[in-house]
Amino acid sequence: MTLDFATLDALRTHHPAWRLLRSDHAPLVASFLHRVFVAPNVRVMSEADLAEALEDELYALRLQLGETAFPKPATEYLNDWALPDKGWLRKFYKPGSDEAQFDLTPATEKAIAWLGQLSERQFVGTESRLLTLFDLLKQMSEGSETDPEKRIAELQKKRDAIDAEIARVRSGDVPLLDDAALKDRFQQFMQGARELLADFREVEHNFRQLDRRVRERIALWEGGKGALLEEIMGERDAIADSDQGKSFRAFWDFLLSSRRQEELSELLERVLQLPAVVAMRPDARIRRVHYDWLEAGEHTQRTVAALSQQLRRFLDDQVWLENRRIMDILRGIESKALALREAPTAGAVMELAEARADIELIMDRPLFTPAVKPVFAHLDLLAGDEAIDPSALFEQVVVDKARLMRHIRHALQNRRQITLRELVAAQPLQQGLAELVAYLQLGSDAFNAVVDEDTPEAIHWQAEDEQGEAVTRTARLPRVIFMR
Amino acid sequence: MGRLLSLQARVRDYVALLNLDLVLDEAEGYAFLKNRPEPAEDDPAPRLPRLIARRPLSFAVSLLLALLRRKLAEFDAGGGETRLVLSRDEIVELVRVFLPDGPNEARLIDQIETTLNKVVELGFLHKLKPASGSATGPAHYEVRRILKAFVDAQWLAEFDARLAAYQSALSGSAKEARDG
Repeated sequence: MTLDFATLDALRTHHPAWRLLRSDHAPLVASFLHRVFVAPNVRVMSEADLAEALEDELYALRLQLGETAFPKPATEYLNDWALPDKGWLRKFYKPGSDEAQFDLTPATEKAIAWLGQLSERQFVGTESRLLTLFDLLKQMSEGSETDPEKRIAELQKKRDAIDAEIARVRSGDVPLLDDAALKDRFQQFMQGARELLADFREVEHNFRQLDRRVRERIALWEGGKGALLEEIMGERDAIADSDQGKSFRAFWDFLLSSRRQEELSELLERVLQLPAVVAMRPDARIRRVHYDWLEAGEHTQRTVAALSQQLRRFLDDQVWLENRRIMDILRGIESKALALREAPTAGAVMELAEARADIELIMDRPLFTPAVKPVFAHLDLLAGDEAIDPSALFEQVVVDKARLMRHIRHALQNRRQITLRELVAAQPLQQGLAELVAYLQLGSDAFNAVVDEDTPEAIHWQAEDEQGEAVTRTARLPRVIFMR
Repeated sequence: MGRLLSLQARVRDYVALLNLDLVLDEAEGYAFLKNRPEPAEDDPAPRLPRLIARRPLSFAVSLLLALLRRKLAEFDAGGGETRLVLSRDEIVELVRVFLPDGPNEARLIDQIETTLNKVVELGFLHKLKPASGSATGPAHYEVRRILKAFVDAQWLAEFDARLAAYQSALSGSAKEARDG
């Protein structure tokens, strides 16, 4: 890119990274996001967790700077930072969760990395970088050589060099890297490792952009359908076939082998024990940097797979055609709806099938049960002339229905049914007629009561008459059967 | 969904007995039941009762469904996210322009709210639970992707035609009123 005035002026206005650096809140945004995302290599964080972390940060800052510093609640800041005019956070929803998720945007990561490089380095190694550059050139030149003769000559040269080195070591001459050379290389390794980790966000971001461009081009297609189809066939693997897609795939295949992982672990372990490296006091996380790469790479891999799949689906099954048609029809609907704005229609305009059937099967309905009407046929009603003591009406008897239910359930534990008469024989009535009547009112999920009108039954119980004499009382009623 | 995928064939056979088809879109992650097409007029096959009811929709609900369908189309054309989430305010803005202007803002919002709840009930919007621990912000709704299967080009064309008929009926009656 060219660094002319116009470009930089546009960048200063539009680029999220520069916007972050210009922001009054830059120290808060950069320090917080570095602590939460960059340092622990976190890729995605839920809104609640992130808001909680920021709330703690804000609380500490308010203690230092006074209550008026950063007055808004954490969620507001987060949502603000995710708005398009800031673009410091990416807010999105992932499948299977109703909660918003956040990730850094690559621009934020760049700004944070640049801030990290501002402090002066104690030591700037140049040798190892020169060697790396030289290596890269050699790889390119050798890798593009098609003439087998030349390839073989090159390999021969390498073999001679290796033979010479073996001979030197045999003769006792073992060349070692000095401390400066070790430091130089380790520093470069650290920097490369960090940059690689940071690049994954940008890689994903670029894939998303690529996906968007393909979709836009198809949505805005002006040409005919045939040409569009050709276009679409060409775009089906746009993501995997891009240069970035291929490079990422190669990286991923290289890193994924367990042998490679072990090799990396061993090498790191050895290097980190070298006195020259220990003296540099490297960050403890570097020990597992290859796992971090793996994690970040896996995240990118998943994103790429999902994007490719969705893009394919978008290009398959005519979705884009349907979408274009829908857009056309909707323009008509909207203009008509606007015209009808002042005269809204009442009642149903459209209908839509339901997505499910509420199935009510006939067999689920209970059978008809005729209501039982008791007939008091054996009674002649006569006007009474005894002087009855009405106090009986006020001597309320409370029957413990729960106790009666227990009797019935208990009796039904080891038999399928029991008549009221048997039940009363087993559990004598203590409150006389009131208790008997209570039995007739019991209903429960645990048992059913059935009345057999054709079989009268006499039920006896012991009671006391007015003089306190024991008497046996009898009630005649149709047979009542309790069943499980 | 995973269990439905593994039981797919059995479910299909089972609901076929009830004269229903299972529609299952694995890629989009939804499934629903639908009446099998009626036999043709001259077909002696018995006419079975239709288990899936068709629900009448008011103008406001139909319009909101159409507008949400447009949002979904734009969203799909825009990039690789799969879940379209709109805040309540965004949905209100979507519909507001199509409602008669009135002095009573609150009543307007209530009207839209009613429509919105109806669409939630139909299953095309899903109200997201607010994040735990965060202050209760405005409600957010996810536009369910199954909307694509129900509000398709055919349905929208039908809606468009009915609006056109209504419009011409309206202008006809207005003309009569003018001509006295």
